Amino acid sequence: MFGGVFGGSQKPVGQAAPGGMGGGMGQAQMDPNAQLAAAEQEMEMVTDMFARLGDLCYKKCLIQRYSDEELTKAESVCTDRCVAKYFQVNRDVSEKLAKLSQANQ
Amino acid sequence: MYNNYGASYQEQRLQQMMEQKQLKDFMRMYSNLVSRCFEDCVSDFTSNTLNDKELTCVNRCTLKNMKLNERIGQRFAEENAKLMEDQAKMGR
Repeated sequence: MFGGVFGGSQKPVGQAAPGGMGGGMGQAQMDPNAQLAAAEQEMEMVTDMFARLGDLCYKKCLIQRYSDEELTKAESVCTDRCVAKYFQVNRDVSEKLAKLSQANQ
Repeated sequence: MYNNYGASYQEQRLQQMMEQKQLKDFMRMYSNLVSRCFEDCVSDFTSNTLNDKELTCVNRCTLKNMKLNERIGQRFAEENAKLMEDQAKMGR
């Protein structure tokens, strides 16, 4: 589904809802137009998240001097961890927010 | 209540939307690459053309950043799949 974003050969990600904010329940009975809008919003969110992630890990991990065109070992490892941690932070923040908004009701 | 356009119409619109998004995504990637490599490589303004050093730098920068994007994409897909698995479990 998000072939362009993930460089082609990846397995499809299906319907993605990072952070558990999608809320796409009962899709079977939904108006097809609303369904389309939901899919669009979801995709927007994923691509946006991906773009921000790319920027962040470039800033955090890449040595911006280019003596070479290959990623160094350190840069590769850093990138892997950067992505994993970004997701962790996402999860943590969304959990905290959910708890806070529950407490405020 | 529902518009009776039929499934194929919806599919077509979805297809269209995906194509638009992919194009937009590509353009974003492209302009991002240009600004990164410009910022990282170009610093000499005694001439209005790129010198050899800057050219090599831009070349390497482009390739390296594309590799970085690819790697991030792979990890992103993995993490995203994991996240959705967890959510599916929680939903039950």
